[in-house]
Amino acid sequence: MAFPARPPGQRLPLKLPEVTAILQGSATIVWLPVGQTSTVCGTMSGVALLPFIILLPFIGALAIWLLPARARSSASLLAGAVAVALTASCLWLYGSVADGTVLRNELTWLPQFGLNLVARMDGLSWLFATMIAGIGGLIVLYAHYYMSPKDSMPRFLAFLLAFKGAMLGIVLSGNLIQIVAFWELTSVFSFLLIGYWHHTSAARDGARMALVITGAGGFALFGGMLLLGHIVGSYDLDVVLAAGDKVRSDPLYTPTLLLILLAAFTKSAQFPFQFWLPRAMAAPTPVSAYLHSATMVKAGVFLLTVFWPVLAGTSTWFWIVTYVGLATLLLGAYSAIFQQDMKGLLAYSTVSHLGLITTLLGMNSQLALVAAVFHIVNHATFKASLFMAAGIIDHEAGTRDIRKLSGLYRYMPATATLAIVASAAMAGVPLLNGFLSKEMFFGETALRNPIPFVDVSLPAVAIVASLFAVTYSLRFVHGVFFGPPPTELDRVPHEPPALMRRPIEILVLICLLVGIIPGLTIGPFLATAVKSVLGPDMPYYSLSVWHGFNWALAMSLVALAGGVILFLLLQKYLARGIEAPPFIGHIVGPRIFERLLILLSVRWAKAAERLLGTRRLQPQLVLLVAVATLAAAIPTLGGIGLLPLPPTTFDPGLALVWVVGMTCAVGAAVQAKYHRLVALMLLGGAGLATSITFVWYSAPDLALTQLLVEVVTTILILLGLRWLPQRLETSEIDPFRRFSLHRLRDLALATIAGGGIALLSYAVMTRDAPDGIARFLLENAYTEGGGRNVVNVILVDFRAFDTFGEITVLGIVALATYALLRRFRPAADSIPRPEQQRVQSAFESQRDDHKEGTILSEFLYVPSVLMRWLFPVIVTFAAFLLLRGHDLPGGGFIAGITLAIGFILQYLAGGTRWTEERLRILPVYWIGTGLLLALVTGAASWLFGYPFLTTSFQYVDVPVLGRVPVASALLFDIGVFILVVGATVLMLIAIAHQSLRSAKRDAQPPGKTAPMIEREKA
Amino acid sequence: MNALHALPEWAAILVALCLLAGALITLAGTIGLTRFPTFYQRIHAPTLGTSFGAAFILVASMIYFSVSEARPVLHELLILIFVTITTPITLMLLARAALYRDRAEGHDVAADAVEAERGETTGH
Repeated sequence: MAFPARPPGQRLPLKLPEVTAILQGSATIVWLPVGQTSTVCGTMSGVALLPFIILLPFIGALAIWLLPARARSSASLLAGAVAVALTASCLWLYGSVADGTVLRNELTWLPQFGLNLVARMDGLSWLFATMIAGIGGLIVLYAHYYMSPKDSMPRFLAFLLAFKGAMLGIVLSGNLIQIVAFWELTSVFSFLLIGYWHHTSAARDGARMALVITGAGGFALFGGMLLLGHIVGSYDLDVVLAAGDKVRSDPLYTPTLLLILLAAFTKSAQFPFQFWLPRAMAAPTPVSAYLHSATMVKAGVFLLTVFWPVLAGTSTWFWIVTYVGLATLLLGAYSAIFQQDMKGLLAYSTVSHLGLITTLLGMNSQLALVAAVFHIVNHATFKASLFMAAGIIDHEAGTRDIRKLSGLYRYMPATATLAIVASAAMAGVPLLNGFLSKEMFFGETALRNPIPFVDVSLPAVAIVASLFAVTYSLRFVHGVFFGPPPTELDRVPHEPPALMRRPIEILVLICLLVGIIPGLTIGPFLATAVKSVLGPDMPYYSLSVWHGFNWALAMSLVALAGGVILFLLLQKYLARGIEAPPFIGHIVGPRIFERLLILLSVRWAKAAERLLGTRRLQPQLVLLVAVATLAAAIPTLGGIGLLPLPPTTFDPGLALVWVVGMTCAVGAAVQAKYHRLVALMLLGGAGLATSITFVWYSAPDLALTQLLVEVVTTILILLGLRWLPQRLETSEIDPFRRFSLHRLRDLALATIAGGGIALLSYAVMTRDAPDGIARFLLENAYTEGGGRNVVNVILVDFRAFDTFGEITVLGIVALATYALLRRFRPAADSIPRPEQQRVQSAFESQRDDHKEGTILSEFLYVPSVLMRWLFPVIVTFAAFLLLRGHDLPGGGFIAGITLAIGFILQYLAGGTRWTEERLRILPVYWIGTGLLLALVTGAASWLFGYPFLTTSFQYVDVPVLGRVPVASALLFDIGVFILVVGATVLMLIAIAHQSLRSAKRDAQPPGKTAPMIEREKA
Repeated sequence: MNALHALPEWAAILVALCLLAGALITLAGTIGLTRFPTFYQRIHAPTLGTSFGAAFILVASMIYFSVSEARPVLHELLILIFVTITTPITLMLLARAALYRDRAEGHDVAADAVEAERGETTGH
């Protein structure tokens, strides 16, 4: 044991300034020489290959995703081809990284923020990339035979490839932020893969749990990476790796470390986050074999390995990482013994092996790091093959329950042999790869340590956990393959297709080769990987099978013997077939997690809603107005200066208009309680007064907009008023309550808010306007924007980006309104139809010559014909407003509202059904088209080398009209126009359809109405 | 300082007369709106303003702008047409609503009117 060890040496011989200097070079491809071999360079194409390796899986995923669901073989072939190409590229690149060179392919993205897209490969990432690509290929072959014809193969393989791309992205990223992005992508795609069989609740729950845990870890990683980048001053991985001492001595080291560890522990299923991994076994077996051997869970230990030179070497690191690893190792191994599901056993064994790797990484010793990297590879090979073997058994025998399985050796000897060899590797039997790395682990734990607790606990837990590993491996092999023939199966198991077994054969062969001749097989690759972490001065280690009789061998033998004995002792207990492990069975991680989730997302959320929310409109409004008043009051309380009474001349005409307007406004407030319609009309009067004021002061644009908005608002409120219950003046209100505190408070608030606004407006308007940007806009509207209507030029040219944001918001608001109203069923469904309709129907039913609905259809006959006639006129008017907008009052927004009013009039004139039979309006498409047109117009200026939304204008000779100014801003304005039409119509239609809904039910004959309503209520 | 000073005298007089006529007719309609006893009578009064009142004012506008800009300015005609078309819409909507309410409340105004007319002709 090397604690407290010397901090890992400066990994790169280059000094920090040199590295940054290289990185800041303008060349997109930067070679970063490492170690003494700095002169050796690979081929340029090798570097060019790196982004290809990251992107190819995503491209492949997209291509496969586009295939039809039945295209099984072509999907598999395509995925296989991608896997082969990736593996071949990785293998070919080995020559470039073998000598310690770091390949870098840098694409300048946001250099001012230190963010460039860097594809980077060193020995360690080569090892991981090859593992991910190679095992990924085997998984594709296996999955082709494993997945049932009912499952959509393209969907599965597309997710798998995308996941593979995300994993490759993590290991090949040379930028901290980029790593976080790919890290999150693995969480997302693993969610989709685990939840692939989304019809089962186990898959959904498992997927969600994995997403929540690893997603939370990803968030922590983001924080950790930001802190790390802040400490170092760069997000570039190579710069960070060279700044280990700086990081460790920084006061922010501990929070950084904790955040990054949180990420790694959640991803690698370390205690106390281990429980998501067994739950993820609801995934199809190829997914488990891939995610839990070579990829997903290895991302966490990869992170720890990569940042080992930067973060390791402190006592904080040692205590947290080593003991979390040890706890996981022990807990996983113990739980694995008592699993009844084959995949559950393997899952807990995975947890335990990840704990072993974490422990090694925590020891702050270079030899332990070698062992950790070695075990990462070994675990990937034997665990992938074991998962695939379990999948074959599940596939051929129909169950994974060890209690039901027995004696399968006689039915599938080849598969059984492979699984037995892989299990032996898992248990650490000599001549297999698991033995070698485990012995290195024993060797490291057996080292004397000055702290007694560490000195005892490390080797003790190591032996006990390995003993458990032998026991569960034995249980797996014995329970499934030996003993009497199975009796509880619904079919006779047999060997799978030979090709389905091939991936396992390859992996088991690797296990054997590495286990017998490690120096010739894994040796050089391991050395390259370790060198890229530790730098050129690597510790001496030996990979040979026989080291003589030493502590490590003794511990191995004890574990093997003890494991066999424990297995024999447990025979009786295991035969009882109890699901949960003894002693800790009642502590169920997932259940605690669910409780926590419910507490957070349901209980606390509801409590917060009860505490802070209300369903009543009045308190909401009171709060809103009070907060707004307060916000305005705080800065003005210091005094707003003089309020002079300027000696302006006073126009009696305008004053009269204002008197009318103010009377209307006050009248509206007075009438609002009992006569809403009257109040609405009076509001219109007030709006009209405002509109006239705008005209008076030469703001025709504003006047026009105000007028149109008034119209639309009135219609909107009218449509909404229909659903408010009638309020009669005679009843309900107790005269003594009229001046309750409640109302006094409202009155005071309203007075303060209104008076405050008036005061503020007065103060602003009596002041000299500061010399702002207005002058610039007025002077340059024509020369720069090519329009004489300054308001419009501001909207579509000078501040077009603002407008773009505004129309986006408008579109979102319209969609949100639609979404809210789509399912909205007002209480009117349960109360009778409007009185007028009932009276009319009653009248019609008395007279024989009137059919039901005649009065309704004839009621507005003449007005509706007139309104229909006006439709083309309104459309023309809208076009007129739109086209002249750049020079004269008008523009896209005004024209859009005008056209929307035209549509609404048709709805009013003919009724919803009549209009929709004849006029097919698809407002959502309008919104999309408008937004897209505005965007494309803006983006088009890139083609000419100008920034986004640069406009150009010139004069064009049109045959009849003569010389006409044409600005590209017009196209943008048309986009605004289309979007405004779509948004306005969508909102109004959403409300208009409410009446259609309840009318539908009324259309039933009276006899049939009752049961309908009954059913609706039920 | 009056814009009318810029016009030739005959045009100024014509414009002023038209404006006054339009304003007076509209005023008469407004007075009628407040003075007539029943809703059905009141509803007719303001139409004076939207028909003849508007027509006179628009003619004044046409003369004024045609003379002052020395070219025919006639797009007020459009205003006239649209006002003429849209006024009946409002009128009919209002009348329909009033008629419905009266009937719903039990006094059939149309029948009453017929009755009343019959009574007059028979010499009551």
